[in-house]
Amino acid sequence: MTIESVLAVSAALFAIGAYGVISRRSLVTVIMSLELMFNGVVIAAVAFSRFTPSAALIAADPLTAEAIRSSLTGHTFAIFVTAVAAGEAALAFALVFAMYRAVESVEITDASEMKN
Amino acid sequence: MEVSALTTIVFWAASGMTLGLAVIVVTQRDVFRAAIALAGSFLGVGILYFVLNAEFVGVVQILVYVGAISVLMAFAVMFIQDIASGSRPSEGRLFAVVVSVLLFSAVVFTAYNSNWSSMDEINDPLALHALTDGYVEVGTGTDISILKDPPIDSDAVVVENGGVLVDSTGPIGVMLIREYMLAFEIIGLLLVATLIGGLLLMRDRAPENEPENGDASV
Repeated sequence: MTIESVLAVSAALFAIGAYGVISRRSLVTVIMSLELMFNGVVIAAVAFSRFTPSAALIAADPLTAEAIRSSLTGHTFAIFVTAVAAGEAALAFALVFAMYRAVESVEITDASEMKN
Repeated sequence: MEVSALTTIVFWAASGMTLGLAVIVVTQRDVFRAAIALAGSFLGVGILYFVLNAEFVGVVQILVYVGAISVLMAFAVMFIQDIASGSRPSEGRLFAVVVSVLLFSAVVFTAYNSNWSSMDEINDPLALHALTDGYVEVGTGTDISILKDPPIDSDAVVVENGGVLVDSTGPIGVMLIREYMLAFEIIGLLLVATLIGGLLLMRDRAPENEPENGDASV
């Protein structure tokens, strides 16, 4: 388990999600693939946080609590991304429901007919 | 210094679980099965976080993704009735394969050809010593100091495999209400806005427009 292998896993998850976003036609599956891409990005953030020491941590001569916290920036980033992704998923499904109610379909090709 | 063999095994097993289930998500025609596979994939990502010593992120992942978002997905799949027709792939399949393979190979090429700074490359022996020699965080609230103690409490900072392992949960909590206070508040506002927006979108139109839609109220 090196940083390269973790980044490869993260890139693979992101690429699989991108494939799903491009190739699927159902909006529900597209949103699922988007969540996969979010997860790939967050894995990369946590991997950087885990494997590379922050500059403050290296420079700190007496080790301070701030220096320790600076090495956890990636974790905080991951938590914020997770919160935003949760809100985004809820709102996206509300949109899908609204579209389903309007045009009785959840296919992307029918989304162009939403204007009224 | 080496990561233990068990950690490596768990890492590759969780990676295989995550990626295999993710492939099922994007290829399965039955959307309900895709939703179940998605929950499994999220769980695999959570295990990956635990392996990467990000316990707090792993717990958040399991709570939010496996617990909440998967249920939302399953609810959406059951709510939309014409799901039986399945999720047909669109015409751009070949294009999608090309794009994702290009993305993957670009990132992997960059990752394997970069010089990552790691603990092994720190030249200053004093800094390395400070990081390996069992400093611990002592105190509560604003009164936190770093002491160099005998190795009884030395698990506060551990150096392993060219990386820094810090006891993460407590410092993240402190971080969220100190350095990232503003972002934390904004996330709260964002979630409230999402809640209101979702309610607005899901709300029934005025009943005099289409009375037959009244049974779908939420």
